[in-house]
Amino acid sequence: MSSSLSPLIHLIDDDEAVRSSLALLISTVGLRVQAWADPQTFMTGFDRQSVGAIVLDVRMPGISGLSVLDTLKAQGVDQPVIMLTGHGTVEMCRRAFKAGAAEFLEKPVDDEALLEALQNAVRQHVKSRERNQADRQAQARFAQLSEREREVLGLITAGLTNKEIGRALDLSPRTVESHRANLFAKLEADSLAQLIRHYASLVDANS
Amino acid sequence: MLQVHRHRLSWVLLWCLLTTLGGLVLAQARLGQVQAAFETDARIVHRLLSQRVVQHDAVLATLALLQPDAETTEASPPEQRLPSVYPQITGVQRRNRDASWPDEALRVAETLSRALRRPALAAVDLNRGHYQLVLAAEPTSFALQLDLHAVVPWSEWPMAPDTSPVRVTLTHEGQSFVVQPGHLQGGGWLFEFHKHLAAESQPFDVVAVRQVGWGELPWGWMLGWAALMAALLLAGRLLLRQRTERQRAEELLRLGQVARLNTLGELAAGMAHELNQPLTAVLANTQAASRMLNDEPPELASARGAMMQAVEQARRASDVVGRLRRAVERPDSTAHTQPVELEDAVRNVLYLLEPEFRRHHVVSQLDAGTGPTTVLAEPVALEQIIHNLLMNAQQALEQVPAGERQLTVTVNTQGPLGVISIADSGPGIAADVLPRIFEPFFTTREAGLGLGLSLCETLASGLGGSLTAAHNTPRGAIFRLSLPLVVSP
Repeated sequence: MSSSLSPLIHLIDDDEAVRSSLALLISTVGLRVQAWADPQTFMTGFDRQSVGAIVLDVRMPGISGLSVLDTLKAQGVDQPVIMLTGHGTVEMCRRAFKAGAAEFLEKPVDDEALLEALQNAVRQHVKSRERNQADRQAQARFAQLSEREREVLGLITAGLTNKEIGRALDLSPRTVESHRANLFAKLEADSLAQLIRHYASLVDANS
Repeated sequence: MLQVHRHRLSWVLLWCLLTTLGGLVLAQARLGQVQAAFETDARIVHRLLSQRVVQHDAVLATLALLQPDAETTEASPPEQRLPSVYPQITGVQRRNRDASWPDEALRVAETLSRALRRPALAAVDLNRGHYQLVLAAEPTSFALQLDLHAVVPWSEWPMAPDTSPVRVTLTHEGQSFVVQPGHLQGGGWLFEFHKHLAAESQPFDVVAVRQVGWGELPWGWMLGWAALMAALLLAGRLLLRQRTERQRAEELLRLGQVARLNTLGELAAGMAHELNQPLTAVLANTQAASRMLNDEPPELASARGAMMQAVEQARRASDVVGRLRRAVERPDSTAHTQPVELEDAVRNVLYLLEPEFRRHHVVSQLDAGTGPTTVLAEPVALEQIIHNLLMNAQQALEQVPAGERQLTVTVNTQGPLGVISIADSGPGIAADVLPRIFEPFFTTREAGLGLGLSLCETLASGLGGSLTAAHNTPRGAIFRLSLPLVVSP
């Protein structure tokens, strides 16, 4: 993994002392930290492609952490968000989780709780990014198929043999065989099992 | 101001409406009464007069039947004795066979009588009250001279003839005889009665008229009614205003409590944030330092830096606490002391809490000593202490059955001190709790802040007094608030 791909933690808190001390603590486990003093600058300036997590204080002047969370989720930001609060009420906690917070911690926060939450969040984000990437690749390959090949693929994933496919599409078994070879090549699939695992859902979505 | 006027105007309008309606009903009732009495009297008058005039027919019929002989030995014919028996008969005339009436009118009447086979009227002069009645008979016809003045049976008359307001007249062919003059004045209401006498021969019309003037309306009753309505409306308005004021006072009290709770909540939240920030930094710095010291090799410089940061943030936290303390420190409450009567203060608070007590079935009782107990205190602080203690007692009493919730407030003096004792029949205070009961943040109640009694004690000592708690006998708790009495000069 290159350094640009190593996890980056965004830390947003208006209190300088809190910001620097938490950044120091997080850096002791080898995570990169980018600290932000106010939510507006953070939302316009942070790298949305980076892998990592966001640590957000609930109580900040100007804009509340909960509305920052709402905005992030509305903009499709996929980094997990960990909320920090000075005096968490049940209601606030409920709202945070409903808005999609990954974790809700009370200040002063214990190092183990915070670091474990951060590591979990990062792991989860890396995994979801990889899954998304695989999905995107499969989609790109699927887009290269011709209309006929898509039909053939659909019937293959439905479990039909070449002969049955030929009958269904009114093609000779030989032609079916050639389409089959082409689509295996285009989708870079080595086996029928792999083909079905990666593309059955795409076939369903496109049919 | 306009609102007030409009409000008052609507009350006045309501009074006018009620007075008018009542007045109408009263007037209507009086008029109905007068009319009923009038009609009864008129019917009696008609009956009495009818009975009298019918007698004239009977007398004539008797004469015609008996045909008394005019040629008797006596000095005069027997019918001449009739006027002495019947005062209304002023004279009797006869026409013997072959004789003729001295008067043409009598002759005409006799002819009519013969044709109708009943007595007939002649020479009617109602204006003077005279008329004649003729009955044709064989061989002798008779005529009676009648005077209406004597017809009226005054002994049986239903009204007082001199003072009665009813005018009674007999009318016949445009003439009229006044039986009773009555009093008729202009305006007001007019009742009338018309009926012919029940005697075919003397068909006089009995006319009774009763005039009811404005003056006869029941003004006294109406005035009384108006006064009564005014008094009732005033009382109602007063009652309503009192109730509104009471409701307003309760509302204010409730709002005050809510506001105080809100302020307290806001204070707690602010305090938590202000303290949490440095504490977060202290914790994060020390834990980071500890991790760096555990590294191989230890990162001494960074760890030192983190520790310096932690020290700085701990100082910041202590500053926050100091600032908060200075901000909420109360000014010296003895500065505003003034003579206050303990009984009044207790009564005020009991009055405010009365609905609350009623809702919780708490029976409260005030045992005041002989005279007013005047202490030197700050009235608001004093009432706040009493309020808190009473609320405390009420909350304790909620733990015992509704029938056993007794709360007794006693006011007396002990040496130079005025003492309020608040005793409840609740579960009392546990022995291990008693020594700590005035500590700040000490509470046995769930969701209690533990500041109420602590505040009370601080306020009491601020006023130069003291607050103590003890077991009550046979059960419950007793709180005693002692304050210095006013030294009389």
